[in-house]
Amino acid sequence: MALEKAVLEELRRAVGREHVIDSKNDLRIFERDASIEGAVPDAVVLPANTAEVSSVIRVAAKHRIPIVPRGAGTGLSGGAVTIRGGIALQVTRMRRILEIDPVAQTALVEPGVVNQELSLAAASHKLFYAPDPSSQKACTIGGNAAENSGGPHCLYYGVTTNHVLGMEVVFADGNVQWVSGDSPDRIGLDLCGVLVGSEGTLCAITKIKVRLLRTPPSVATLLAAFPTIEAASQAVSAVIGAGIVPAALEMMDRVCVGAVEAHYHAGYPTDAGAVLLVEVDGIPESTLELMAAVRGVLAQNQGYAMREAQSPAERDLLWAGRKGAIGALGRIKPNYYLHDGVVPRSKLPQILSAVGEIGIHYKLPVANVFHAGDGNLHPNILFDLRDRDVLPQVESAGEEMLRAVVELGGALSGEHGIGLEKSAFMPWVYSADDLEAMQRVKAALDANGIMNPGKIFPDPNRKHAQLAGRTGLAIEAKWW
Amino acid sequence: MVVGRATAEKPATAEELARRLRDAAEAGLAVFPVGGGQAAEMGDPPAREGIELRTTALDRVLEHSQADMVVSVEAGITLEALQAELTKSGQFLPLDPFNSPGHTVGGLLASGWTGPLRLRYGSPRDFLIGIRVALPDGRLVSAGGRVVKNVSGYDLMKLHYGALGTLGIIVAASFKVFPKPLKDVTVESTRESLVEAWAAAEQALNMPMAPAAVELFPNGRVLARFLGSPEATKRMVADLGWKAVDAAAWDVHSKAAPANWARIAMPRHQLRPIVDNLGAGEEWWASPGIGIANWAVAGGAEDVRAVRTAATAAGGSVVLLAGSNEFRHDAGAWGTPPATLHLMRRLRSAFDPNQVINPGRFVV
Repeated sequence: MALEKAVLEELRRAVGREHVIDSKNDLRIFERDASIEGAVPDAVVLPANTAEVSSVIRVAAKHRIPIVPRGAGTGLSGGAVTIRGGIALQVTRMRRILEIDPVAQTALVEPGVVNQELSLAAASHKLFYAPDPSSQKACTIGGNAAENSGGPHCLYYGVTTNHVLGMEVVFADGNVQWVSGDSPDRIGLDLCGVLVGSEGTLCAITKIKVRLLRTPPSVATLLAAFPTIEAASQAVSAVIGAGIVPAALEMMDRVCVGAVEAHYHAGYPTDAGAVLLVEVDGIPESTLELMAAVRGVLAQNQGYAMREAQSPAERDLLWAGRKGAIGALGRIKPNYYLHDGVVPRSKLPQILSAVGEIGIHYKLPVANVFHAGDGNLHPNILFDLRDRDVLPQVESAGEEMLRAVVELGGALSGEHGIGLEKSAFMPWVYSADDLEAMQRVKAALDANGIMNPGKIFPDPNRKHAQLAGRTGLAIEAKWW
Repeated sequence: MVVGRATAEKPATAEELARRLRDAAEAGLAVFPVGGGQAAEMGDPPAREGIELRTTALDRVLEHSQADMVVSVEAGITLEALQAELTKSGQFLPLDPFNSPGHTVGGLLASGWTGPLRLRYGSPRDFLIGIRVALPDGRLVSAGGRVVKNVSGYDLMKLHYGALGTLGIIVAASFKVFPKPLKDVTVESTRESLVEAWAAAEQALNMPMAPAAVELFPNGRVLARFLGSPEATKRMVADLGWKAVDAAAWDVHSKAAPANWARIAMPRHQLRPIVDNLGAGEEWWASPGIGIANWAVAGGAEDVRAVRTAATAAGGSVVLLAGSNEFRHDAGAWGTPPATLHLMRRLRSAFDPNQVINPGRFVV
């Protein structure tokens, strides 16, 4: 539904005529993020600063128009999709790194700063920003904070929420506030903590203060092959069980390795059932000792063809294969549906065999490339959109995989968020009372529900969770 | 103003605790949740009379999955009992609060008390992965989960952490736990002057392998802890050249609990000027890497207010962790509330509209 002319005029006054998009063809560019569902916004607004964001949100609040913050549009759960129409608040003009403080080891950035740009800028101070989503060349820090994004190195270093010190945010009434900041143990409730990962449903983020870490003086990266995915999973548990928490511990299955090797020629062993990419960092003494210990554990668990990167270039190549794995899968099928779920680490063999069976059942190839150390799996369902009726099959397969994750005591998402994609599944994990408690937070901070509506919580008017009710709630049965 | 506690109850189950909370709320009574009582004096004196709900009968380990390095416990278990369970499998929760032993897990989460190891591991804010709380309407609600990485729904763990129970009484929690380090060494150095001691602490903090804890004392003593692989810790100890001491030094330190106790929390590099201004003869200890100092207030409320004014101006805070009702009333436990107080109040109202839990005690 197109916005009224008067509303568009107000928006143009807020950000300048050239920064409001409302022509039908141009709006289509903003229909999608990297998830599988889309919806065309009624208008796209590109503010240049906090004051403009506030003005835009005031217009939205006055007319009760949905407002959906959007960064690079790389999100995988539909967080940036304007499912109920309204305004896409595109923050990519706000892309300045405002400050890097090498003494305090912090950075202050605008939300449109690209994740990797920050780490590159920090590198000259021998500092880095730890959360490193695979999309880090494109995704924004604002989007990362909204989704509480992860990445391979979060195994040791923690996810986005562990690195955000404070934020300047605009609430649903246009009110601008700083939440948290540089000092620890701040007075009152931890608003920043609940806003990070709230998927744009509680506020728009206009500045982010993040912690930077000292670049470790030495890094060791090892690639190891395993005969089966079960053996690799066992090795993952054994490494952690030996008291070693590597900086990263990633797994790729045979399907993935084949595609990656064909594309990158990184020397990945294509005969393996699965490979692990293990990285440890620290001072040289530490990486030497830890890598020797890791090698020992992997060897005891059927690891073979172990290859340690001998140069930064070789390390980059090994990582290029991992981070570019999803693109390489295009060699098998043109389309993919990347899922995200977390199981307790010890359940990896069970979930991976369940995922394999589901793929076989639906006759869809599945490739696994994921953060094994965290138990955070990413099954990739591969398909060709041109195949008749394939999408419902893909969706059903994904849903069954998530169901299996939940039945093993896991979580619906480790780092992509719930968004649109998984909102219908929330009752698999949380009781009506649990969800109602979360909605109290929503109602307290966005009473009229204009911030990114239709996300996180199940929408009874949309899609029913067909598989719900097959077993009891994971949270009730298995946790308490 | 000073209020007694009419009765104390010790519910045997979370369900019973939730029922008692609801009954009290319906009867218009205030409820004061108590775990180990280690942080009983934190905050402002309560605004009205009520009942104490003790969580200490809720002391079970619900599940410890050694392979997953995740543990779920009831809130009334003591930290020591939890560590005893974890240590059987070479794991631990990296939390070493002051005024130990005797803290319960629920009390630590509600109060947000931490210790020196926060330098390396962060606070429970960083490793609390699931929570279950009782609400004044009698419901038991959960958030988070039992996996180490989870972005499904709002992170209510963050809201409950440090909220002094004002959004609900914590009845159970799940944590990511950690493997015991391969090597754990403690070193110390005592310097002639405080100026040199601060410099020594900075030197330890800047070692290529960051220390897990660095504590500084007014007599010029600096205590540092390195965790890691054997060769790496050996090199750090050699490079620093300080005297190796027994790890028991940390147990002694964790017993610290001043009678009139203020916690100074600052942006890391603003801590020293505030501590320097406390004046000679004041008792305190500082965690320079974290930005926190604990101060045994010898004087009165006006001393607290003066330090608080300086701390607030530099972006920090001074919060009272212990002291008599009179002292806390006169000095104010929290100081100037943040500009977002109205939002915090809305959240409080959403969960505890009649201020049943800890009325008057928290900032919200």
